[in-house]
Amino acid sequence: MNIDVRHIAKLSRLHLNEKEIPKFTEEMEKILAMVEQLPPIEGEGTLLDPDHPMELREDKAETLYRRDELLANAPEVEAGCVVVPKVVD
Amino acid sequence: MELYEYSAAKLSAMMEQGEISARELCESVLNRIETTDREVRAYLTLQKEEALKQADEVDKLRRSGEALPPLAGIPVGIKDNICTKGLRTTCASRMLHNFVPPYDATVIKKLRAQYAVIPGKLNMDEFAMGSSTETSYFQKTANPHDLTRIPGGSSGGSAAAVAAGSAVVALGSDTGGSIRQPASLCGVVGLKPTYGAVSRFGLVAFASSLDQIGSFGRTVEDAALLYDAVCGPDPMDATSVRRDVTPITPQLHPSVKGLKIGLPHEYFEEGVEESTKNAVMNAAAELEKAGAELIPLSLPSTGYGLSAYYIIASAEASSNLARFDGVKYGYRTEHFETLEQMYENTRSEGFGDEVKRRILLGTFVLSSGYYDAYYKRAKMLQQQMTREFVSVFEQCDLLLTPTTPYTAFKLGERIDDPLMMYRCDVCTVPVNIAGLPAVSLPCGRDDMGLPIGMQLIGPHFSEARLLNTAYSYEKLIGGFPPMPRLSGKEGAK
Repeated sequence: MNIDVRHIAKLSRLHLNEKEIPKFTEEMEKILAMVEQLPPIEGEGTLLDPDHPMELREDKAETLYRRDELLANAPEVEAGCVVVPKVVD
Repeated sequence: MELYEYSAAKLSAMMEQGEISARELCESVLNRIETTDREVRAYLTLQKEEALKQADEVDKLRRSGEALPPLAGIPVGIKDNICTKGLRTTCASRMLHNFVPPYDATVIKKLRAQYAVIPGKLNMDEFAMGSSTETSYFQKTANPHDLTRIPGGSSGGSAAAVAAGSAVVALGSDTGGSIRQPASLCGVVGLKPTYGAVSRFGLVAFASSLDQIGSFGRTVEDAALLYDAVCGPDPMDATSVRRDVTPITPQLHPSVKGLKIGLPHEYFEEGVEESTKNAVMNAAAELEKAGAELIPLSLPSTGYGLSAYYIIASAEASSNLARFDGVKYGYRTEHFETLEQMYENTRSEGFGDEVKRRILLGTFVLSSGYYDAYYKRAKMLQQQMTREFVSVFEQCDLLLTPTTPYTAFKLGERIDDPLMMYRCDVCTVPVNIAGLPAVSLPCGRDDMGLPIGMQLIGPHFSEARLLNTAYSYEKLIGGFPPMPRLSGKEGAK
């Protein structure tokens, strides 16, 4: 299986340099060769467990955290907001 | 015998009877860390002052006559992917090197309510991706039984700390074997509970449908004590199962009479070392002598487990790790002009190679044109494997297998070969795929003196049966071997 690592990296928002491309390509091809070993299989791939339906909490506002505590981890903060590069002119 | 060597159950009783104080115990464990952790390197972050404060609080409460829960005053090590309010939580990644959680994981809240003492945070593979703890951004942890070898992973710090006596018990997480495999290689007990038995709120997500928090101890009773303290439903985790919880520890009693133990032959085939097979079969014979019935059986899809696991886990990881973008928390690159460059450079500089491999694989199997061939088939295989487990549990009460195909390998031996590393997980991933509980416990040594582990697997929510069988085995062999000697100033004995 050929894999376009450059394209997959772009989708993953990862930047790989020219040295890394052949290394990751080779590794990904080996890993894919391993995981491709799946049997022919019929049926539906349902994702939910019927025995344990998940319950959502009641949609009710609660104050669990303080804004300044949450923002304390942000790399750049101004006026109670996180700062990112300009995206519109 | 030093205090750090005793079991949590014994220490709990000693504190209750006033023979020792929580402070004395805490100091003993902190000293042990001081003398051994330069070699073992299990801890990423220590909070000595805070731990002593927590211990003093326990002693104060005890003096006031308050009846305290069993974990009060017990030093519990925490894997560094479990959020601890005010205490750095890195996932052993550069991406979170400076992250200080503004909240506690539910399991940490529960430990605090039990007045457990938290000495610090334990090393792991980066974002729990790996089987040797070598993908940690910060440091490599050594196996206390042989410092030139890996402790297993991804909860290698937790297993090594418990094995070395630098924590009495510890929490880890298990997505494909990350509690059981290091427990096996470090000669301790590791419990991976049923999916949904323990809240995952505050556990940094790797593969949300497979991740589960569980416990390490040097005895089965200790692993049970810690599990009892953290299990149960949680409104903050929609996948935690709403059910009544009865503490398991008080029910432990050594008896396997009439117990039907299945031996699936696929777990004893090529790739599993002879010494491991022999040790597990000897343990099976011990259990049979004590009244259990051994039933040879088959789980035909076992060989596909690794494929299904690496597809599902990587797919979920690629989605979960999309949140690390340098905006709200964690690492942010200094090299960017546009938002896109900020994302790409933050992620490329912040993640290590193994994390990148899994993100790339996950992105690929979910990408247009490949979803049906990989992800959908893996999910169908997951159901088939689950059905096979359900059907064998009609013939037996639990299964006995090796935990890992081989004992601890040398540091650096496999780090450059991802496939060799992935194969470490062959006996453990089927359990996560089917959401089952399993426990790994020591069952002998190979000819180099390295610990061998066996795995007991049970039906959903059979933790009591699993732990009771493990407890029975521990009593049958007269207890597990003592702690390994470490060359630090004070030896283990």
